[in-house]
Amino acid sequence: MRGLPSASWLALPEMDAVLDKEAWRYSERAWQALHAQKFIAAPASELPSALVERFDWPETRDRRIVCVNGDPALSADLRLRDGERLHLIFANVSAAQPQRWRREFAISLEHGSAQVIEQHIGSAGADVLGELSSRVHVAPGAQLHITTLCDLPDSVSLYRQEQVEVGAGAQYQSAHVLFGGRLQRFDLDVEMVGAGADYSARGVFAPRARAHIDVHLDARHSARDTRSDVLWRGVADQRGRGILHGAITVAAGADGADARLQTKNLLLSPHAEIDAQPVLEIYADEVKASHGATVGQLDERALFYLRSRGVPLAAARSLLISGFCREAFDGVADAESRARIEALLAERLPQAGETA
Amino acid sequence: MLKIDNLHVRVAGKEILKGIALQVNAGEVHAIMGPNGAGKSTLGNVLAGRDGYELTQGSVRYNGTDLLELAPEQRAAAGVFLAFQYPVEIPGVNNTYFLKAALNAQRKYRGEAELDSMQFLKAVREKLRVLHISDDLMNRAVNAGFSGGEKKRNEIFQMALLQPQLAILDETDSGLDIDALKMVADGVNAMRDPKRAFIVITHYQRLLDYIVPDFVHVMVDGRIVESGDKSLALKLEEHGYAWIAERKLVGAA
Repeated sequence: MRGLPSASWLALPEMDAVLDKEAWRYSERAWQALHAQKFIAAPASELPSALVERFDWPETRDRRIVCVNGDPALSADLRLRDGERLHLIFANVSAAQPQRWRREFAISLEHGSAQVIEQHIGSAGADVLGELSSRVHVAPGAQLHITTLCDLPDSVSLYRQEQVEVGAGAQYQSAHVLFGGRLQRFDLDVEMVGAGADYSARGVFAPRARAHIDVHLDARHSARDTRSDVLWRGVADQRGRGILHGAITVAAGADGADARLQTKNLLLSPHAEIDAQPVLEIYADEVKASHGATVGQLDERALFYLRSRGVPLAAARSLLISGFCREAFDGVADAESRARIEALLAERLPQAGETA
Repeated sequence: MLKIDNLHVRVAGKEILKGIALQVNAGEVHAIMGPNGAGKSTLGNVLAGRDGYELTQGSVRYNGTDLLELAPEQRAAAGVFLAFQYPVEIPGVNNTYFLKAALNAQRKYRGEAELDSMQFLKAVREKLRVLHISDDLMNRAVNAGFSGGEKKRNEIFQMALLQPQLAILDETDSGLDIDALKMVADGVNAMRDPKRAFIVITHYQRLLDYIVPDFVHVMVDGRIVESGDKSLALKLEEHGYAWIAERKLVGAA
C-alpha cells in the first residue's frame, strides 16, 4: 500500500513529486491552482446553524461526533463496539482567509458488527483545504459498514485517504456519495489480509459546475479465498471533471480470489469529462477477476420510452440520471444508510430543467 | 381521428415510407401487416415521435392538429400510445415512480387534477387485477430483468393505466406464447371503445384471431399495397406475402 506523504507534503516541491507519480492531467492543474494561494492553519471554530441543520438528525444525536476543521481535541482512535452505530461529521467552516487543516484518525472493530455514517460538509466562503487520513482495521470475523456522504460547497477542497485492512473471514462494506467541492480526492485502499476476507464498495461521484472529483480505488487481495466487489457510477455535468482509477491486485499465493470492478460513467454536457482507468494486476494462479469501465451519454432509447409515456424531456432526463445512480446502491441493506444516500441523491443530482 | 396523407419518411438518407395514406376513425381497429423491412415499425415510431426520422413529404393530422409538430410527451398527453416492439429496460427507475410521473404529467398537460399516491395505487391495482399481473411488478425497475412475455404484458398494463385514444401496438404478439397472447388480446379487447382506436402492427394472422380488426392493410416496401377487411389477413396467411408482391407487379404492368 502507498504510504502517506510527509506532514509537509503540501509544500510545492513535494507536491510535484506526488504528481509526477500520478501523472493525472487535470489533478495537476487543479492542485496547482489551489496552491497559488496562501493558507493559514484552521482554528477550531463555531458551527454556523445552517451547517448544524445538515447533520442534526434526531436519531443520531446521542451517537454522533462532530469534528470542525479537523479539531485535534477529538479522539484519534475510535474503537467500535459490537452493534455500535456511529455518526461521524467532518465540518469545514470558512473564515476570513483561506485556511487548511489536517487530521489523522483510526477506526477499529475487534468483533461483531458496526455501522459508521461519515459525513463531510462545509460552509461557503473563503477557501478551506482539508486533508483527512484514516486507518480502518476490521478484525477477523468482524463486519464493518461505512457510508460516506460528501456534500461540499465549491470553496472546500478535501483530500481523503482511507486505508483499510480486512482480517480473515471479516467483511468491509462501504458506500460513498461524492458531491461538490472545488477539488475532492478520495483514495480508498483496501487490503484483504486474511483468508476469506470480503470487501465491497458502492459509490457515486457527480462533479458539476467546475468541480473536480478524483477517486482512486485500490483493492488488494493478499490472502486466499478473498472477495472484492467494487461498483461505481460517475455523472459529470457542465464543466465537471471526474477521474476514476480502479485497481485490483491479487498477490502471489492469494489463490481463490474473486475480484470484480465495474464502473459506468455518464456525461451530461459536451464540456464534462470523466477519465476512467481500470487496472488489473494478478500474481496468483487460481483467480476469478473481471473489470470494466464505460463512459457514455444518456440512453436515447430509454429517454424516448419515458417521453412516449408522457414524461416531459427534462423530467425524463432526471429520472434516468437518478436511476443510473440509485442502481449502484441496490445492494445496500441497511435502511438508515440507504435512506440517507437516497435523500442526498435526490437533493443534489441535476434536477428537471437544470441540465443542458 | 388520425389522417395520414402521402407520408414519405427517410432514415439515414434512405426512404423507408414512400407515400403512406391511412385514415383511422374513433372506434376502429386497423391491422397493418407486411413482411420484415416493409416500414411497419417506422410508421409506429414516426407516429409516437421518435427522433431520427426525416419527413420529406406529406402530413399527419390527429384530432385536427399537426401530430408531427408535437413532442413525444405532448403526443402521449393528447392520447397517443405506442406499445413498443422492444420495450426498453431501465434499471434503477422504479415502475411505480415512472408511471405515476407519466400519468400525472399527462393529466397536468390536459388541465386535469393530478392523482395522489392513494388514488394512483388504486388505479394501478385495478388494472393489475384485470390483467392478471402480480403486484410485485410495481416494485421492480422498468422492464429490468423482465422476460419477453413480461415486457409485452407490461406494455399492455401501461396502456390500460394511461387510457390512450389512439393505441399503436408494434408487434406486441412477437415472442409470446399462446397464453400470453390471449392475455394481451383480452387486455386490448377490454379497452375497445367507440372513442378509442387501435393500430395493430403484426406479422402474423394469429393475433387477429383474438383481436378482430375492422380493417387490414398490407404494407410492402414503404407503401400500403392492399386494404380490406379481416378476410384479407386470412388470404395472406394462406398465400404468403409473395402473393401480394406478385399482384402488385401485375397491377403495375
